[in-house]
Amino acid sequence: MIASRRAFLKTAALSSASLVIGFDSRGLFGAEKKEAAQFNPNGWVRIDGDGTVTLTIGKSEMGQGVRTSLAMILAEELEADWSKIKLVQASPGPDFKRLGTGGSFSLGGSWKPLRHAGAAAREMLIAAAAARWKVDRSACTAANGFVLRKETSERLGYAELVAEAAKLPTPADPPLKKAADFRLLGKPTKRLDGHDIVTGAAHYGIDTKVPGMLYASIERPPWEGAKAKHSENDKASKVPGVKKIVPGTNGIAVVAENTFAALKGRAALAVEWEDAPKDAFDSNTHTRRLEAASRESGFITRQEEPPAGTGAVARTIEATYQYPFYAHAPLEVMNCTADVRPDRCTIWVPTQAPNALQEAVADSLGLSVAQVEVNVTLIGGGFGRRLAVDYALEAAELSRAVKAPVQVLWTRADDTKHGHFQAASAHRLFAGLDANDVLVSWQHTKAGSPHNLRRKAGPEAVRDAGYYQDLSWGVYDVPYAVPAIETRYVSVDVPVKHGPWRSVFAPSSVFSREAFLDEVAHERGADPLAFRLALLNGDDEVKAGSLTIDRWRLRRVLEVVREKSGWGGKEPAPRHGRGVACNVYDGDTHIAYVADVAVDPAGVVRVERVVAAVDCGFVVNPIGAEQQIEGGILWGISSALLGEITFRNGAAQQSSYRDFQVARMHDTPEIEIHILPSEAPAPFGMGEPPVPPIVPAIMNAVFAATGKRIRRLPIQAGELKA
Amino acid sequence: MREIAIIVNGAKRVVHVEEDTPLVWVLRDTLSMTGTKFGCGIGVCGSCTVLESGKAVRSCQIPASEAKDRSFVTIEGLSPDANHPCQRAWLEEDVAQCGFCQPGMILTACSLLRDHPAPTDEEIDTAMSDSVCRCGTYPRMRKAIRRAATLMREKKS
Repeated sequence: MIASRRAFLKTAALSSASLVIGFDSRGLFGAEKKEAAQFNPNGWVRIDGDGTVTLTIGKSEMGQGVRTSLAMILAEELEADWSKIKLVQASPGPDFKRLGTGGSFSLGGSWKPLRHAGAAAREMLIAAAAARWKVDRSACTAANGFVLRKETSERLGYAELVAEAAKLPTPADPPLKKAADFRLLGKPTKRLDGHDIVTGAAHYGIDTKVPGMLYASIERPPWEGAKAKHSENDKASKVPGVKKIVPGTNGIAVVAENTFAALKGRAALAVEWEDAPKDAFDSNTHTRRLEAASRESGFITRQEEPPAGTGAVARTIEATYQYPFYAHAPLEVMNCTADVRPDRCTIWVPTQAPNALQEAVADSLGLSVAQVEVNVTLIGGGFGRRLAVDYALEAAELSRAVKAPVQVLWTRADDTKHGHFQAASAHRLFAGLDANDVLVSWQHTKAGSPHNLRRKAGPEAVRDAGYYQDLSWGVYDVPYAVPAIETRYVSVDVPVKHGPWRSVFAPSSVFSREAFLDEVAHERGADPLAFRLALLNGDDEVKAGSLTIDRWRLRRVLEVVREKSGWGGKEPAPRHGRGVACNVYDGDTHIAYVADVAVDPAGVVRVERVVAAVDCGFVVNPIGAEQQIEGGILWGISSALLGEITFRNGAAQQSSYRDFQVARMHDTPEIEIHILPSEAPAPFGMGEPPVPPIVPAIMNAVFAATGKRIRRLPIQAGELKA
Repeated sequence: MREIAIIVNGAKRVVHVEEDTPLVWVLRDTLSMTGTKFGCGIGVCGSCTVLESGKAVRSCQIPASEAKDRSFVTIEGLSPDANHPCQRAWLEEDVAQCGFCQPGMILTACSLLRDHPAPTDEEIDTAMSDSVCRCGTYPRMRKAIRRAATLMREKKS
């Protein structure tokens, strides 16, 4: 059976987290145990004899602030002195078998296990102090790196308790702190990596330096699967600094003493690639295939029959929405450094998937997993691209070939042309209105493509409703109370690589759903925001597949943006407009946006202001949550208004930020964020959820400004010309 | 291979490199100063920005032969301990997400503030829009630039 991506990530997150219980003091830091007294009751917490508190971070840092927020959770329960903690990044190994970062699941999945780990350590330190004072545990408390004796105000620093605490059994069920007693959690907390970032000391994968290392650049085939008909390497070999030319799995690699020599050598290669076949992948053709597929019946992902007494459909509204390919385009290009020896391999890599990478490298080299050491660096932008491991396999292959450590560095063009793109999709929507103009029927078919990063699913693969629902978040979990709902998925193969991209399958679905709902509102002459609220007036809790939609939370965020944006206020200026959209991401984070746009006579859209209301459960670090909302809005502006990836003759046509434009400072709106207090006991995700509803909010505003309905992203030049 | 002297953060550095090696690779590979980032190599992203006489220049566009005898400041040399007004403002406004583009952004902002001590929104847009931050830290960058401008004025008075 093939595990759905969502299920995979959840399992991964829970598995790595649950290991905490099984850790003991001979585990992760066993090699250092011989040294002075040290207390490491589990894989996440270590306190040295000098009082240094070292916290292990099991998630990759790629801008979401996870090193800070996970440390906050541990330090809170540990009652550590925040100003003195150190962080180490977890590496795959016996104690960390499922490291992986994605799905906006880092905080939700780590919340309980890390609190538990911190609390267990704190209880052991308190128990050690209580034993020394010969008092009951209840006479003691802990704060800021000390155990305090309540009656006498005596105190013992954690450093003094390390040796005794290390001898105590780890409590299985330590008490957790009450939210009212939190000192760190929920408070705006600065990035622990902030100082390193602004001084240039922060080390990303690309910054890896290893003695004796060589540098490689790979000339890649123009289209997937192309073979070199002829390759002339002489000139390249003569470029000063070039050490070796290695024909490899993903192209012809030039290995050199420094990066520039590798790039220059690569440019000097004369490779004749075989021509693309006549039917090579073309995104225009694919758009038409998707459009046709969206009219097929596909797999039903949700079906709700109208209750008796529902009015008959008197008229229908229908539309097809088109969504293009996008690149991730992180600033740090793909790269990896590998040092392969006969019996082992060491890797330094910015990756979201450390264990999957370790397994893939071990597999490719014929080594055991234990022989492959993976060091996870800071990541200069992940967005899902670094769940794939292609760059690591290249580095390992080349290091083995040249018997030296090798850093493979992709160029910007490599990164833009050979990504694992967000896949295109088409959405066909129908709304049925009864004789009284009540929305009584909703149909939404998504024609899209499951990721093809992993092994192709065999015939035994179970393709049940859960599988297809996973591919169509935002479609089947439509939150609105419509008597008859039918959602479907049609799977269409794509021969180019495509994989998770920030918020994965949701953006196209939420764009089409929220824009089409806007069409229905306007068709009925209804206010789009009031129309949404009216459609959320059914039961508060609705089940869709494995998800529970909380309409109360969604109504609340809509009501907040209505009030804060001044919705329904004075008539906007000509070619100015206001739009609304909302979404529940994967059943947890609830977001509503109101966007104000201005469209100039040439048709250029400028997003002037965005008001956001968010219910993301318990907020661990308000700074981090706000950053993710701001970043999600800018991400959406890029995909609504700027670059897309197109294919001709099997090749991506774009090659840099010049032709795959992303948002810049001058595209930045005024942003007003309202994070609502939430009684939810745990945090929801925030990396991805801000992305999906921003694009429809912008497009609905564009309609309000111009009367033109954009059903294909991104907006094309001249499309909105006055 | 040629012997070329450049001044980096006030120190004379003599390197042996091919003349056409872009400054970004001299800094990163030859001198192991990795605070200057490689982002695109064609001058469209701004990650490799360094300062020359206080003005932002793109180190991927300057071959070593042209860098000869010129003086550059990289992020590592901007201040002894993150106490340059731009660095302080960046930390106070919590700008960074992944942080990769931020050295280039901070140095670009320094250059902007040298020319425009109290920049308007338009001046900020013009100076900063040649650089890319894929995380979308622009709203905070804008605030940080304003704060840095204030810090610089306070320092002067």
